[in-house]
Amino acid sequence: MREMIVHELTQATQELVREFARFLPRLMVMLIVVLVGWVIAYLVKAVLRSFLRLIKFDKLSEGAGATQLLNKAALPSSTELVSRFAFWTAWLGFILVGVSALGILGMQEYVTRFFVFLPRLLVSLIFLFIGLLAASFFSRAALLWAVNTDMPSPRLLSSAARVLITVFTASAVFEELGLADSTMLFAFAIVLGAVMLGLAIAFGLGGQELAKRFLEARFSPEKKEGKEREDELSPL
Amino acid sequence: MAEESILTDEFLRQLIDVGEADVLVGVPTYNNAATVGQVVQTIRAGLLKYFPRERAVIVNADGGSRDETSNLVRGASINDLQHSTDLNALRTLHSISAEYAGGPATGTALRTILASAELLRVSACAVVSPESTTIEPEWIERLLRPVYQGNADFVTPLYRRHKFDGLLMSNLVYPMTRAFYGKRVREPYASEFSFSGPLAGHFLTQEIWVNEVGHTGTEIALTISAITGGFRMVQSFLGVKPRLDARSADLIDAMRQTVGALFWSLEPNFSLWSSKGDSQPVPTLGGEQEVTLEPLRVNRKRLLAMFRSGVAELEPVLKSILSAPTLAELQRIAALSEEEDFCYGDELWARTIYEFAASYHKAVISRDHIVQALAPLYRGRAFTFLVENRDASGEQVEQNIENFCLTCERLKPSLLELWNGKK
Amino acid sequence: MPMSQDQLWYKDAIIYQVHVRTFFDTNADGIGDFRGLAQKLDYLQELGVNAIWLMPFFPSPLRDDGYDIAEYRSVHSSYGNLDDFKGFLQAAHERGIRVIVELVLNHTSDQHPWFQESRKSKDNPKRDWYVWSDTDTKYQGVRIIFVDTELSNWAWDPVSKEYYWHRFFSHQPDLNYDNPAVREEMWNVMKFWVELGVDGFRLDAVPYLVEREGTSCENLPETHAVLKELRAKLDLHYPGKMLLAEANQWPADLRAYFGEGDEFHMAFHFPLMPRMFMGLKLEDRKPITEILKQTPQIPGSCQWCLFLRNHDELTLEMVTDVERDYMYDQYARDKHMRINVGIRRRLAPLLDNDRRRIELMNGLLLSLPGTPIIYYGDEIGMGDNIYLGDRNGVRTPMQWEGGWNGGFSSADPESLYSPLMLNPVYGFQAVNVQSQKRFDHSLLSWMKRIIKVRKSTPVFGRGSIEFLYPANHRILAYVRQLDKESILVVNNLSSTAQAVELDLRQFKGNILIEMFGRNIFPRVGELPYLLTLGPYQFYWFRLRKI
Repeated sequence: MREMIVHELTQATQELVREFARFLPRLMVMLIVVLVGWVIAYLVKAVLRSFLRLIKFDKLSEGAGATQLLNKAALPSSTELVSRFAFWTAWLGFILVGVSALGILGMQEYVTRFFVFLPRLLVSLIFLFIGLLAASFFSRAALLWAVNTDMPSPRLLSSAARVLITVFTASAVFEELGLADSTMLFAFAIVLGAVMLGLAIAFGLGGQELAKRFLEARFSPEKKEGKEREDELSPL
Repeated sequence: MAEESILTDEFLRQLIDVGEADVLVGVPTYNNAATVGQVVQTIRAGLLKYFPRERAVIVNADGGSRDETSNLVRGASINDLQHSTDLNALRTLHSISAEYAGGPATGTALRTILASAELLRVSACAVVSPESTTIEPEWIERLLRPVYQGNADFVTPLYRRHKFDGLLMSNLVYPMTRAFYGKRVREPYASEFSFSGPLAGHFLTQEIWVNEVGHTGTEIALTISAITGGFRMVQSFLGVKPRLDARSADLIDAMRQTVGALFWSLEPNFSLWSSKGDSQPVPTLGGEQEVTLEPLRVNRKRLLAMFRSGVAELEPVLKSILSAPTLAELQRIAALSEEEDFCYGDELWARTIYEFAASYHKAVISRDHIVQALAPLYRGRAFTFLVENRDASGEQVEQNIENFCLTCERLKPSLLELWNGKK
Repeated sequence: MPMSQDQLWYKDAIIYQVHVRTFFDTNADGIGDFRGLAQKLDYLQELGVNAIWLMPFFPSPLRDDGYDIAEYRSVHSSYGNLDDFKGFLQAAHERGIRVIVELVLNHTSDQHPWFQESRKSKDNPKRDWYVWSDTDTKYQGVRIIFVDTELSNWAWDPVSKEYYWHRFFSHQPDLNYDNPAVREEMWNVMKFWVELGVDGFRLDAVPYLVEREGTSCENLPETHAVLKELRAKLDLHYPGKMLLAEANQWPADLRAYFGEGDEFHMAFHFPLMPRMFMGLKLEDRKPITEILKQTPQIPGSCQWCLFLRNHDELTLEMVTDVERDYMYDQYARDKHMRINVGIRRRLAPLLDNDRRRIELMNGLLLSLPGTPIIYYGDEIGMGDNIYLGDRNGVRTPMQWEGGWNGGFSSADPESLYSPLMLNPVYGFQAVNVQSQKRFDHSLLSWMKRIIKVRKSTPVFGRGSIEFLYPANHRILAYVRQLDKESILVVNNLSSTAQAVELDLRQFKGNILIEMFGRNIFPRVGELPYLLTLGPYQFYWFRLRKI
């Protein structure tokens, strides 16, 4: 019986050593891949950063209002952010490839899912960026329009526009990422509905005079004759 | 070449039938049936009276009118099919009307007229607005004769208008065009003007057509192009300025077409205007710009109110456009409680405009938004102008405008600093 | 060659206008004569004309180129005698050429025996043959025709101490047509020539025959009555003879001279002529089409007479002031060229000796509705001498060859009735019949060809006209139709190449056959018919459906 235990022990140990021996090269491969990946990711970051500097990406994002957001969040500039993100994404990718080389079951699935997730992440980020740009642009356009047509509370209108577009963008991004999509959708619908209802009530009740003036100016400019109104001055 | 694509087959066929002409009068239209009939008949009378022997043609570039515009124009033709012996016309007068491609746009209409002028090899071409109900046959003579005789390449009009009519023109567009480009063209944005055939060809080669400004700000772009090209400019007194349609009097549209186009033109012409010295007068025919003084009821309060609300509400926008001292000054005068104390002076206004021009060049925000942001500030300036000239005579008004022009010219170097400096 | 006995022969006529004095001199006196004219009939026959209109050749003091007549039944001695005339007449008829003689009805020379009698005293039997008045205030406001020479229509006669009426020169007193004796005598004059064998008369200055107070003294109903009377007598006794009216009036007034086919057979279309020249300079068909649109319909037996130039000035009486100024500026810059209210230049100089324009104008002359008249010398492109007085610049001797006196006469050059053209462009050595006969490409050869084409069909002389109005206003296009035959004429009035699209839908299915070369052109389809024409080019197409 002692011989059997020793024999089994020896065999088990030999088994372990063999397994370990088989595992070692894979580990080596993984480490090499990780190292190479780090180098490549670094290159990607450098190239991307130069490219973004060239197309003045910072200025663009300034227009989008993203810089202000980032500053508030104590994040580095947009160029820097994007470059670093690219670096980490690339390196993570390589790490996962290396890990998959280890041949550990179950990891394959996670790796695959990561790579499937990546493009959607990219799309969402682009969408977010565009959305923020649009929000900034349209809120400013609304502000200018309201000021120039003598509307009351132009800032309110401007913020409302910004909020609306931002919320819409956010919900679209969440949907794209597949995070609580239906919830966000409902939330957005509810917010939008509420805002619209509120505006309608406000407009109908409180904005009668304004509406009348607005419609008059838009659709029947001739009605101004014959009233005790001022003379129209033509700017040109 | 892009030129062919705006001339439809139908238009080209009509041009072929005309063949060649000596003088051309172009009328851009879009649903102008209310006024175009009278305008075209007056043009025809002018051509018959002052150019009876010349081969003349009226070209209507239409944006797709759904009313009687085209028929009204064609009705002005004189040919042997229409038995109109009472007119005593020596030869056929073509009055053609055709649609240009791409939907209604002044720029495309003007470009079509330019193309017609070039293809028909005319010596002189005039453009007349279809809404100019105050037009007289003499306008045709005054517009075309200097060009036809070979004494001028580009003729801008001078009008008899109320001292408060055209404030944007007299407080911004004229002084700035003059300061930048060195020519005292009183009406650089005009609904009536004329040019020579070779100049039409030159216009067509310009870059403006492929840009946004080629669609909306064409008139002033053409004026600038004529000035920068060194062509002989002449101003001709016409008559009473036609009242624009209330729709066309929209300030924002007007600003886009003039201020926007003007600012846009600064970039490609940088080397020209940056080195220009003092402005030169432009020869004038038939009298100076006349000013009428009949009393007008103007709602000045509203102008001031909109200026104040503009400065307040647009602060975040103005912050990215104006320099801190200028913005502070504006806020100071906006805060003045007494109306009488309010004064948007010449120097402040000139600086405002220059800073806007520099910001436009750097495109700190969307360029169209920059132009829109200037509107409330202009209203403040208009208020000051109305107050200061309330009891002024015609000469005094013109003198005040002249003073402002000189201020602009004096402060021009500051723009250059802003232009090249960092934000 | 037998002549057609057709009563409407004048509708197919191609008339050659000539003054016997200018044509050919056989007796070396420096003046053309009838024997000479007879000798040159072969030339005219070859040219293709079938009628000659002779300018006045009756005895005359020649103070108005023969329009001041001193004797109505004879021939001026410079041109020969009545026998010479008869010889010429017979020779013409043998060659199928009819002869039209000029009869000045309105006035005579003051050297005429009738006037010599009339002015003797107030009681003279012939007193009433002319129009006398003791004041010059009668018929106030009547226009003066020879504005460059006359100041009034009345002239004072020192012999009988009264004023006499003269619409033309003061030495041409007007006959009084209110006097039946005058009317009877003029009929007898006409009878005289008809019996000799003359085929027709051009009656000069017919609007002015009768005067009435308070009128313009032109185109009065009484005048028409006189003319109708003459015509009635002519038709009764001598059918087949033709009366041609010279009445420089607007088309509406001209219409009256045709009556209902019972007055004149033909009349000159004066208003059209300057407009043809105007249309050419303007490069615009409008003047031409408009005047033809305003031309009234005439009775079926009547015919218009078309002409480009004649012995008189190119008259600008029947145009507006704007048009007149334009014509003066374009065609008569030099004031020497202007006389009365017109331009005294020949066809070739008016058209800058441009062969294409000369061809185009002749093409119009021979294709527009009416009987064409070719002025002598225009078939070879003769020039003019504007420095000769009155209208004599267009009445210089015919140029036959490059030799002595241009082959006109063997007399001394200084003795000729008129100096010859001498300059290198229009002089007789450059422009003459002999040299042009030798070459196919000469104007003379071309004229022969086009006249031949014109005579190949009766459509031009007798057909209707319908204008096409293509959008290109420089193209004058029209269709001539007679019964089933149709001819399309397309003219480019401009100096540059043109393209034109014609609406020929009513002729769909027809093949176009170009009449000079007889080549076939594409058939007319649904689409507008595209033609391209060179500068001043024209086409005559026969439309044929096979």
